[in-house]
Amino acid sequence: MHPGNLSMVIRGALIPAVGWACAGAALSSPNFGTEVRPVLQQCLPCHGPDEHSRMANLRLDSLAAASGQNGGHQGIVPGNSAASRVIVRVSSDENPMPPTGDRLTAGEIDTLRRWIDAGAKYERHWAFDSPVRPEPPSVSDPGWIRNPIDSFVLARLDKEGLQPSPEADRHTLIRRLSLALTGLPPTPTEVEAFAGDDSAEAYSALVDRLLNSSGYGERWARVWLDLARYADSVGYEKDSIRTIWPYRDWVVQALNENISFDQFTVLQLAGDLLPEPSNDQLVATGFHRNTMTNTEGGTDDEEFRDAAVKDRVATTGQVWMGLTWGCAQCHSHKYDPLSQREFYSLYAFLNQTADADRNDDAPKLELAEGVSTLVLRELPAEERRDTFIHNRGNFMSPGGQVAPAVPAAFHPFPSSAPRDRLGLAHWLTSKENPLTARVTVNRLWARLFGAGIVRTEEDFGTQGTPPTHPELLDWLATEFMRVNWDLKDILKTIVTSATYRQRSDLTPELLAVDPENSLLARGARFRMPAEMVRDQALFASGLLSGKIGGEPVMPWQPEGIWQVVYSSKQWKTSPGEDRYRRALYTLWRRTSPYPSMTTFDAPSGETCTVRRIRTNTPLQALVTLNDPTLMEAAQRLAARTGTGNRSDPERRLDRLFRLVLSRPPSPAETGRLLALQAEAAFELRQQSANARKLAHYDRVMYKANRRTPLVGDSRGDSPDWRYSAEDPGDGWAMPGFDDTSWHRGKGAFGSTKRPNVSDAPDPYGTSLRTDWNSTDLWTRVEFDLADPSMQEIRLEGRFSGGFEAFLNGVPAATQINGSGTFAPFELAARAKAALRPGKNVLAIHAIHTGLSDGLRFLDVGLTALRPPAFPDSGPEDADEAAWVVVANVVLNLDEALTIR
Amino acid sequence: MTMHSGYEFVQQQTRRHFLSGCQLGLASMFLGSARAAASPAKGPLAPRRPHYPPKAKSVIYLHMAGGPSQLELFDPKPELQKHDGADCPQHLLEGKRFAFIKGVPQLLGTPYEFSRAGQSGTWVSELLPRFAEIADDVAIIRSMTTEEFNHAPAQLLLHTGNARLGSASMGSWATYGLGTENQDLPGFVVLVSGNRTPSAGKSLWGSGFLPSVYQGVQCRTQGEPVLFLRNPEGMSRSLRRKTLDALGDLNRIDQQRSGNPDTLSRIEQYELAFRMQASVPEVMDISREPDSVHSMYGTEPGKLSFANNCLLARRLVENGVRFVQLYDWGWDHHGNARQTDIRLDLPDRARDIDRPMAALIKDLKQRGLLGQTLIIWGGEFGRTPMRENRQGDKTEYYGRDHHPEAFTMWMAGGGIKGGVNHGATDDIGYYVDRDPVTPRDVQATLLHLLGLDPYAFHYPYQGLRQRLIGPTDEGRIVSELLA
Repeated sequence: MHPGNLSMVIRGALIPAVGWACAGAALSSPNFGTEVRPVLQQCLPCHGPDEHSRMANLRLDSLAAASGQNGGHQGIVPGNSAASRVIVRVSSDENPMPPTGDRLTAGEIDTLRRWIDAGAKYERHWAFDSPVRPEPPSVSDPGWIRNPIDSFVLARLDKEGLQPSPEADRHTLIRRLSLALTGLPPTPTEVEAFAGDDSAEAYSALVDRLLNSSGYGERWARVWLDLARYADSVGYEKDSIRTIWPYRDWVVQALNENISFDQFTVLQLAGDLLPEPSNDQLVATGFHRNTMTNTEGGTDDEEFRDAAVKDRVATTGQVWMGLTWGCAQCHSHKYDPLSQREFYSLYAFLNQTADADRNDDAPKLELAEGVSTLVLRELPAEERRDTFIHNRGNFMSPGGQVAPAVPAAFHPFPSSAPRDRLGLAHWLTSKENPLTARVTVNRLWARLFGAGIVRTEEDFGTQGTPPTHPELLDWLATEFMRVNWDLKDILKTIVTSATYRQRSDLTPELLAVDPENSLLARGARFRMPAEMVRDQALFASGLLSGKIGGEPVMPWQPEGIWQVVYSSKQWKTSPGEDRYRRALYTLWRRTSPYPSMTTFDAPSGETCTVRRIRTNTPLQALVTLNDPTLMEAAQRLAARTGTGNRSDPERRLDRLFRLVLSRPPSPAETGRLLALQAEAAFELRQQSANARKLAHYDRVMYKANRRTPLVGDSRGDSPDWRYSAEDPGDGWAMPGFDDTSWHRGKGAFGSTKRPNVSDAPDPYGTSLRTDWNSTDLWTRVEFDLADPSMQEIRLEGRFSGGFEAFLNGVPAATQINGSGTFAPFELAARAKAALRPGKNVLAIHAIHTGLSDGLRFLDVGLTALRPPAFPDSGPEDADEAAWVVVANVVLNLDEALTIR
Repeated sequence: MTMHSGYEFVQQQTRRHFLSGCQLGLASMFLGSARAAASPAKGPLAPRRPHYPPKAKSVIYLHMAGGPSQLELFDPKPELQKHDGADCPQHLLEGKRFAFIKGVPQLLGTPYEFSRAGQSGTWVSELLPRFAEIADDVAIIRSMTTEEFNHAPAQLLLHTGNARLGSASMGSWATYGLGTENQDLPGFVVLVSGNRTPSAGKSLWGSGFLPSVYQGVQCRTQGEPVLFLRNPEGMSRSLRRKTLDALGDLNRIDQQRSGNPDTLSRIEQYELAFRMQASVPEVMDISREPDSVHSMYGTEPGKLSFANNCLLARRLVENGVRFVQLYDWGWDHHGNARQTDIRLDLPDRARDIDRPMAALIKDLKQRGLLGQTLIIWGGEFGRTPMRENRQGDKTEYYGRDHHPEAFTMWMAGGGIKGGVNHGATDDIGYYVDRDPVTPRDVQATLLHLLGLDPYAFHYPYQGLRQRLIGPTDEGRIVSELLA
């Protein structure tokens, strides 16, 4: 129950039209799947398959049970609703059922009554029976049909009295296809080539070209990695970085090579169990090594190994069968046929791997020097684990022992297959499996159309929504198996259909009849995923690197995002083209994921994400308007389109539009944007500093490059400090204080009696310059502030205990918690005000706060931001800056952010 | 175009080009009939009515990350003092897991005095003199108990109802259920002090399975208050306005052509972003608060501190923000260094929060906001009655290990009865002796006070009715705390 109607707003997309189901049903007997089951479903939490929560010894999930044949109470008398206790109780005022909460409506009770009177026939949930290939129905306009998909869609439209939309224009089609299949827009040259090719094969040839480009694997790998809960860190408190990117690269390559989906499955679930597995086959098993590892102090490794295995069971159910197995870890599933015993029987398949929540993430496979990635390895026979049911899901409370087995409601486990992960993988990809093909084609469909044929991609069970086009789904599923699980083949079938090629524009009529496009009377239109927002902007501006694979990279992100307790890994913008790689390659830390992508609904990678719920928020607008990465793209885009076009603004704008939107602008659009350009140039001519910053934005945004030491630390040249271990008394921090009797030594003070206490790449020991063995240390250094244009002066450093810093005697900062890596510390406003041109004094009183023989160090300096170095500027800055502004607007157009 | 000059010309061009290309009148008529999606009050964060009349409209949750020591702050144990230094009885150690304690640790009394405060006679440590002044406004729970003994899982259990990553946080649930009053500010704001984010990271304010629009927005007191809030360097606010005008015009042209109302909600989000660019820095700027307020809280504009965050929390709820979550890091007093020593460091930590949290209650009261604002204080677990012995005998520092068995939290404000002392621990503070309260009970109570039925309030996901209080109904509204 939701207090408002919000769940309808958000989940409105999930509610399919039910017309198909009602049609043709006999008046007296309501349709079981669409009418009766939703009512009965409300009774199942207390009268369903879960034996622990069952009340009154009454089950209503099968006719045998409901009519008392299994030893329970009889709730239903088939053919006689008046004699059925269920009807008596749900309509009773004195003794109502359910006893609390919302009552059934009169309509729901009537449905039950009519169903019982007609014999109370139960039907198996549609998704649990294997799909049977349906014949494409006959339709009103056979000329529209390009392949059987269209017959199913048009037949339904015929029934609703609707027409399909006309085919989209060529510019729209090539942009839609390129984004959908490769994650990148087409180049203007590609657009023109396609727009000018009138041949019948042009469309099909374009699809082939896109499916065979390397971008295809990168785009669809990202879809798969959501399912694999891929991330580059271990999770939980420490969340340190792990090497599992070879698995990501394997996915890209496997998709580009178009490994059949059954093979793709077997390799990931059980590549290590194949005879003499190759490195590639082992790397593929990284799929289930993406579970998290907890390295916090005192952690029971078994607790988190168990959590990982449970996650693998749940993820396997989600990814291949679209079922929510996870909830059966504590109790039998309340709706679907999966008992708690069956959950642990599945668990038993996955319970024999050697990984065990170890800090070193073993077992690993060494691929090259220094590159070891996580893989699955089966325990040797003598170390195999016994598997028990966990009472209430608690691994400390074992119940009965179980052997590996699959749920009884589904096709049998092949008798010849081994009862291990390999056997399980074969069972999943067996043609008898009613779900794997359906779930997979539905997922492809959803990525192409913005919503699945089954809207609840993550739940094909009885709680999920029924398919909008059940026969279409089954045709696609059987077709997918017929072509031997060929992903590119089935994708091509979908995108070459007339259905996919429709225009996505809306008429008021369609908006009123079918706002969610359940009937497919128009083409897809939806906001692009997070990765595409970034990749498209970089691509259009010419910045995007074409490098494929390899170690994850660190594109620009705001300072201070990575401040996780007890960890020292730092975010440092990658050099060269690595900062402009596709979003797929961004280093992904689970507890601190790349912020602008999570704003656009990218998942954290903590658990398997089958479907990203798309949102539309002001924070997204802030990202696309202001994120320096996108501004840099705008700057480059403006510059790129200026080449050769500086004297012809209309041509320049035309080029800009073609790069981003794959089409020329309309006269109205040209007029409005050229007016903005002129307005902006006018304003920026009055503000030359702003004009320069916008025109040369890349010189402004990489602040880390402009940060220069005023007082160096061990990363560079550190100056001679004066220092004393004796309390120097009052006034020691003042500029005029006489420190000539103090010791003299290079900055970076300390001693390390316990080397390698941190995982920092630079163990402190090697960078220390001057011994410090006392509890307190007083230090002073004079520095010159010659350049008045220096900005954002701050302390930077690392230290073991605590310190107080003073500038010209004024308290500037106090820190007590220690920091193993270099961190910035803001100066107090009063201390900043005390700085003056020429000589200044930085004084620091450090206190060793750890154990007396523990590590101690003080490695602190002062830095400032150099103003950006602009090239010789001229009057054209304002004009160029105004084009950056225009590019910023074009990249933010709704059309630029949507696939349509 | 660049050859022209003169602002009037430019403006004229703008209007002429735009009007010639787009018939605004028609567009807006179509919109009106199609869907009123453009109104900001209709978005997913629009205020919504709860299940029943609420006792509190907004929440300020003060989380002390690391697990503050109840034995030094709120829960005096004379018996523990008496046995200070004695070996911990074996029966308390058998079958237990600790994060760092090994072998047989010694019992550790507190170095601090306790005295009774207020009419309620609430026991309060000498470390919290200001808190003693508000004791009668507060309901203290000395019988908190949890299942998790590591930071990240314990924090997750408390904030999301699930010790594993991936569920929705309390603030997300609250904004999902109720929306927020002020559409120009985020509905769920997170403020962090102590220089670090808590152990479980940003997952603590993640929206989990709820749509990401409900995730907490971390506002910073230094630098940009919200990520990407500032215009890029070189882009003035007036120029930004002009770009948004052009963007809106072009999107309207597009909408007219393609007929899709989603384009209009996107325009709305951009306008909302523009308003946030003004409203967020304004509400985050405490420099214009009078001196009396600064001395009351101990705030210093521009500083990163718990005190500043408390004052900000008041300003945020005053401006209609639904849920304000504060995290203060630095309460993990193991006693393995000076900064984790209960004698050397804890007094500083306590001083840093004592004045501001008392000020927050008094300030809200003065402004008539206390009655509608629920305030919750506490950590993810407590600390052991035993001294931690990680370094054996040689350590010169004093500290305690993680203790999930018993800890203290308090609540105040909307719907809470002041002066209540709820629950008790045993003689040495090891186990809860009376009226245990779990994180699920806290969650149930919080939702209840917001007018949301904790048992019915759910979100369908992965075949389950996902709820903040978890899958079972064991979470209980702690009615003893309610006014």
